[in-house]
Amino acid sequence: MKRLLIVLLMALITVVAFADEQTTETTTFEEPILITSGGQSPGALQMMVLAKTGGFDFEFIKDVEPAKENIAAFNTIIVVVGASGKGLGAAGIDVDDEIARLEELVSLAKAEGKSVIIAQIEGATRRGPSSDKISDAIAHEAELLLIKKDADEDGKFTTIANENEIEIIHFEKTSDARGVLKDVFNK
Amino acid sequence: MKRAIVFVFSICLIVGVTFGAVTAQTVASSDGMVAAANAYAAEIGAEILEKGGNALDAAIAVSFALGVVEPYASGLGGEGYAVITMANGEKHAVDFKSMAPGGVTYDLLEELETSISDIRYTPKGALVPGVPAGIQKVYDLGATLPLEELIAPAIELAREGFVVNETFAKVTSDKYEALLNSAPEFLNDMLAWETGDVYKNEALAETMEMIAENGIKCFYEGQIAEDIAQYMEENDGFITKEDLENYVAYVKKPVQGTYRGYDVIVPGPPVSGPQLIAILNMLENYNLGLMGWDDPLAIHIIQQTLVLEDVDRRYFISDPDYYDLPVEGFMSKEYARRRIMKIDLNQAIDPDTYWDHGGNPTPFEEGKSFEDVLIEEGAKEAAAELVNVKESPSTTHFSILDKEGNAVAWTQTNSSFFGTTSFVNGFFMNNEIGNFASTYRDWDVINLEPGMRPRTTICPTIIEKDGEVRFIIGTPGGGRIVSTITNLIVDLIDFEMPVDKAIAKPKFVGYVWYDKIRMEKGLPEKTLEALEALGHELRLYEYPDLYFGGPNLISVGQDGMMIGAGSIRRNGAASAPEM
Repeated sequence: MKRLLIVLLMALITVVAFADEQTTETTTFEEPILITSGGQSPGALQMMVLAKTGGFDFEFIKDVEPAKENIAAFNTIIVVVGASGKGLGAAGIDVDDEIARLEELVSLAKAEGKSVIIAQIEGATRRGPSSDKISDAIAHEAELLLIKKDADEDGKFTTIANENEIEIIHFEKTSDARGVLKDVFNK
Repeated sequence: MKRAIVFVFSICLIVGVTFGAVTAQTVASSDGMVAAANAYAAEIGAEILEKGGNALDAAIAVSFALGVVEPYASGLGGEGYAVITMANGEKHAVDFKSMAPGGVTYDLLEELETSISDIRYTPKGALVPGVPAGIQKVYDLGATLPLEELIAPAIELAREGFVVNETFAKVTSDKYEALLNSAPEFLNDMLAWETGDVYKNEALAETMEMIAENGIKCFYEGQIAEDIAQYMEENDGFITKEDLENYVAYVKKPVQGTYRGYDVIVPGPPVSGPQLIAILNMLENYNLGLMGWDDPLAIHIIQQTLVLEDVDRRYFISDPDYYDLPVEGFMSKEYARRRIMKIDLNQAIDPDTYWDHGGNPTPFEEGKSFEDVLIEEGAKEAAAELVNVKESPSTTHFSILDKEGNAVAWTQTNSSFFGTTSFVNGFFMNNEIGNFASTYRDWDVINLEPGMRPRTTICPTIIEKDGEVRFIIGTPGGGRIVSTITNLIVDLIDFEMPVDKAIAKPKFVGYVWYDKIRMEKGLPEKTLEALEALGHELRLYEYPDLYFGGPNLISVGQDGMMIGAGSIRRNGAASAPEM
């Protein structure tokens, strides 16, 4: 009886451990990656540096137009959100133009079977009305949210993740995103 | 018992204390005071005072330190102006404005098929830096400690590193793309610096060590000059070794005006001292003290005055070695009376017509009275088209007062944040070329010429009453500088605000290029509605916003108590020695 109890206990532990592993397992994504900006802040360029120094197969097109031929070569699209008035101005667009581009891009990517990751890697300094407007427009469409911890102090991204059953990974520093990318791309 | 009565109003910014200096956003003391855009720099200044240095010693140490902790805003590759009043009554204005290299002309730019706007963020946009020469001039005016001792804290800070604050992180992020291209070695493993990171700058430490060992001369004639010239040659910049050798900082007589019984001591052209005097002369005609700081009529009067005198600045302020302009007339109280006739208390000037409201101070230059000019003529209208220069909220200002009463108001800048983004020997080269006219124009007063110093809006200010220092004021902020300083002076003198409240009050701007009143949120809704009723359009910014500058002030009470306040918009701090 005692032996049976031990076996049952061990089985239970295994099941619990397995269940835990199941719930915390990170979805994996596939290269090549298309990195683009969601708001024309320097965050996308920093993501490009992270991808480059991390040895990823990627292309960086800051303001890629939503067209099948522009995304055909990629398996995953990373949109780095963060609005910059200067960046939008340099691109000759306003935040609503940018949102329209991103909504179309994300929608097209999903229709074409591509994975979409929304990343915020600049933290709290890149939170504000325009940046939030962009996140509100597209973050719920992502398969994964990669969020710098201090950008989610008010729980905004966690709420989006919970409401839409999207996986969310937080990291402390921008440079930590490189390791997270390696995990989710199994590198 | 300690002589000093030092107490802290706020402990939010207290940093590591090596000596006894007390550092916070607002500090009071009777033993001396330093207010600067960064707590490390402010504390270094206070420690120099503590060691027995005077305000000039502390100013030099703070200037070097700011180049370390705010390399984006100012440093050895930049320029500036300092106003100094000594306890013995001497007054000086130290002009260390940058200077156009000898070979640069509009013809050359045409030949190279480029323009000032095209080269502003390239090595070609750098003018010959003035900060090191300015430091030498200030030193010669009466510093007491060896230069090595004044530069040592900055060397240590650069070598040992310091904790990056929000401002450092934000401005680095904003310029990330340019830095990645031009100065990747400045970045944190190719990424933007983040709040809480520790930034070290060994190259700058070595540069400053060279200065400590060989004197400031080596910046203009020695190894550092060689390095700058080599960088420029390799990167198609204009500055040559000869340009560096030819650079001179000047000690001039400051410009003086009065405002409601106070003496206002400011730098002369090509910076905004005369404009500030002209503004205060106009405002003196209104009893602002009877209004509140949030009274729409007071804001209307001040904003319209700022706009009118910004138009005038563009016609009457430039490098006096290159243009003979009616600066005395511009600063006369008689002219101010003529100018207030332009302000309609019922209706804001249509921004589309701002350029039609230039004045004519020339008759006042000759000493004519307001009545004479009014009878004889109307104001001569000036040409309409003027250069549109984008001015960034870069720059940095610090204020220092020692217990003997020596005062320094010092503003230094790289022009834009990170200047040209050319990173040489651990410091950034300014991009002051953008302050010259983009193309040659007959009517303009800022046409680029070799050796000329550009017109800018900086305005370090010392205000005295009955021969005693009462306020030391200054701010960065590009086109907002004069508006923010005017806001502060009116708040301190007319509305009798304490210095920390004056800094905190939401700021507004009057500037020719802004068709709307740009202002921080925080004014009552009724005030905003009333301003709109007067015909103003408003553009509101979140509060507080670095865009409106980062003033670092000192006020002195009649009892000698000094209150220093660092900017709330830029992680500024005040620091007092503990004697």
